[in-house]
Amino acid sequence: MSTIVLPPFWSLVEAHGDELLVHARRMAGAAHGEDVLQDALLRALRAYPQLRHAEHLRAWLYRVTTTTALDHLRARRREVLTDEPPVSVSEPEHYDDSFERLIGALPETARAALRLRFVEDLDYDRIAVRLGCSAVAARQRVSTALRTLRTQGIPT
Amino acid sequence: MSLPARLLDSIASAAVREGLADAVYTRLATPIGTLLVIQGERGVVRVGFEDEPADRLLAAVAARLGPRIVASDRELAHTRDVLSAYFEGEDQRLDLPVDLALVRSPFRRSALTTLRDEVGPGQVVTYGGLAAKVGHPRAARAIGSACATNPVPIIVPCHRVVPGSGGVGSYAGGPERKRRLLAHEDAVVPAGAASARTPRPTA
Repeated sequence: MSTIVLPPFWSLVEAHGDELLVHARRMAGAAHGEDVLQDALLRALRAYPQLRHAEHLRAWLYRVTTTTALDHLRARRREVLTDEPPVSVSEPEHYDDSFERLIGALPETARAALRLRFVEDLDYDRIAVRLGCSAVAARQRVSTALRTLRTQGIPT
Repeated sequence: MSLPARLLDSIASAAVREGLADAVYTRLATPIGTLLVIQGERGVVRVGFEDEPADRLLAAVAARLGPRIVASDRELAHTRDVLSAYFEGEDQRLDLPVDLALVRSPFRRSALTTLRDEVGPGQVVTYGGLAAKVGHPRAARAIGSACATNPVPIIVPCHRVVPGSGGVGSYAGGPERKRRLLAHEDAVVPAGAASARTPRPTA
């Protein structure tokens, strides 16, 4: 048994649920936001007792939601294109791998913006500093990259 | 700002259905205030009065049963119905599974179990009387501690335990709630030996 003390899961849902729904909608499209969030929170619940520390839980929930949204986008794309079976659910620990695979076909600037936003969980001011552009431009790069993922689908 | 209730319900029910919830909680409005009811797989593990901080109660359950705690009125519909039937006077038995996981001491656990099994609605017992039932007739003070730390008040009826000296005595939810619960059950609180000995005030 670990000695870390995790807060009751629902307190996280109450504290961050609304912003995670906004995030899920932005990533997966408004019509799919609630499905994605439900899936993401169930994935998070599955992994929750295995967390090794109780820090950055909000950022962790953002990452799980991001991964889930990308999986949904990929699954939807496949449904449209082929009869392939749905993708298997990726483990939260491996979100970086699946994330990299999903964004692999985008231009490097777009990939960098997405990584800073969704893997490092930075705000747009910090992303701007890292990319050497304005915060407005940073926000645009992230939203353009997301739009590309949504509209063009994700090559696998 | 929070998520739509419908979405929260759906997430909580899915969590329970998939066996991902260590405990589920609900808030129930009653004549003695809003109760927080927390239930694990084996039964109700905690009942809190509205003046107790909910986050502390939930954290204590998380430490014991696990942190995967969700809120759902729907998943606890049966528990809510049984408690409501008690407060509406339809059925005072409070026939619900109880889990005393938050009680560490075997003595306190056996005191609370005996209390629940042997002291029904409308009855009262003194601290000393319950001590005798548990088989430790001189342990009235320890019985007092067991009642004071009862994690499942109302369902484990520590409000039915009163001092031998008369009056309703103390209660985790305050003496006024204890008085109201006893009145609701039409319980007769004995005047007690000590108060009987007290000289009557002269008019």
